[in-house]
Amino acid sequence: MKDIYQKKIFDYLLENRIENFIGVPDSTIKYFIERGLKKKKVIVATREEEAIGIAVGMSLSNSSSLVFMQNAGFANSLSAITSLVQLYQIPIIFLIGWRGFLKKDAPEHEKIGKIQPKLLKTLNLESKILDEKNWKNGCDWALRKIRDQRTCALIIKREFLD
Amino acid sequence: MIRKDAISEVVNYIKNEPIVSANGFISRDLYEVNDKPTNFYMIGSMGLASSIGLGIAIKNPKKNVYVFDGDGNILMNLGSLITIGNIKPKNLIHIVFDNSSHESTGGQPTSSKNIKIDHIAKASNYTTFQTNSKIGLKRIFKKIEKISGPILILVNISNSKIKSKRVGINATKIKNRFMSSL
Repeated sequence: MKDIYQKKIFDYLLENRIENFIGVPDSTIKYFIERGLKKKKVIVATREEEAIGIAVGMSLSNSSSLVFMQNAGFANSLSAITSLVQLYQIPIIFLIGWRGFLKKDAPEHEKIGKIQPKLLKTLNLESKILDEKNWKNGCDWALRKIRDQRTCALIIKREFLD
Repeated sequence: MIRKDAISEVVNYIKNEPIVSANGFISRDLYEVNDKPTNFYMIGSMGLASSIGLGIAIKNPKKNVYVFDGDGNILMNLGSLITIGNIKPKNLIHIVFDNSSHESTGGQPTSSKNIKIDHIAKASNYTTFQTNSKIGLKRIFKKIEKISGPILILVNISNSKIKSKRVGINATKIKNRFMSSL
């Protein structure tokens, strides 16, 4: 996704009262993260579970949070999602960069990239894929989820190779 | 001093301020000793109590936020010490009850006997204290009244056969009453 749209997504979520952006960097969503860093709204954690813990603490304080990560980190996060976020029903938006979406992506992303849609489904974590056309609808959907005290995921595909 | 006695002593110094307690016997002891809405019992997600505490501390700068951690727990999330030390929340008091073992799962050893957790915390911008007694805890809590966080108190404890009951409140209720208390 082009930088302009990633920046728009960040600004839109911020305008709509997502107050905290915590996560582990990913190249697929780097412009989103850059925008947040520039606005001093981002906390970079050491691991994805840690980011989820911090976001939970903020959500418990009635301050809405988004956790960003690569899908490799999403695999790290399963226990934190099931035994913390879902168990306590904490509303959080996950923003996940989808490595392994392209078949020719690096080999370490192949397996997790392939099982990602099923993994989300198995976890009962509702998700939508954001692209350059539908991003606003996707964000509105996620914001509604948060208002209804639900957790959800927004996915951005990695559509380039390097 | 066993963990339950240490927790009984520590709660004397904490008024109506949030406590995030690690999963396993730490939350069970706290629940039995001094259950109240300001306790957030983290019954799963081992390792994350200090991260949750950090999030609460950032958003509630006027309250002291306490984390009741264990050596096994913090060793699973050492990166948390780095992030906390980098952000330096003045109101975060991180108490690690250290028995150099995973007591909740049968007493298997951790490495904290040979690698000192308070040394790692000190290198991560924490002000650190250590004790193994009630009188030591009393002195430390007096001292920290005048000190800014992040503060880490390493409490060396011994294992025991005493087992507190499980936290008898469901997770969403723990959350709801905790949120109302903030």
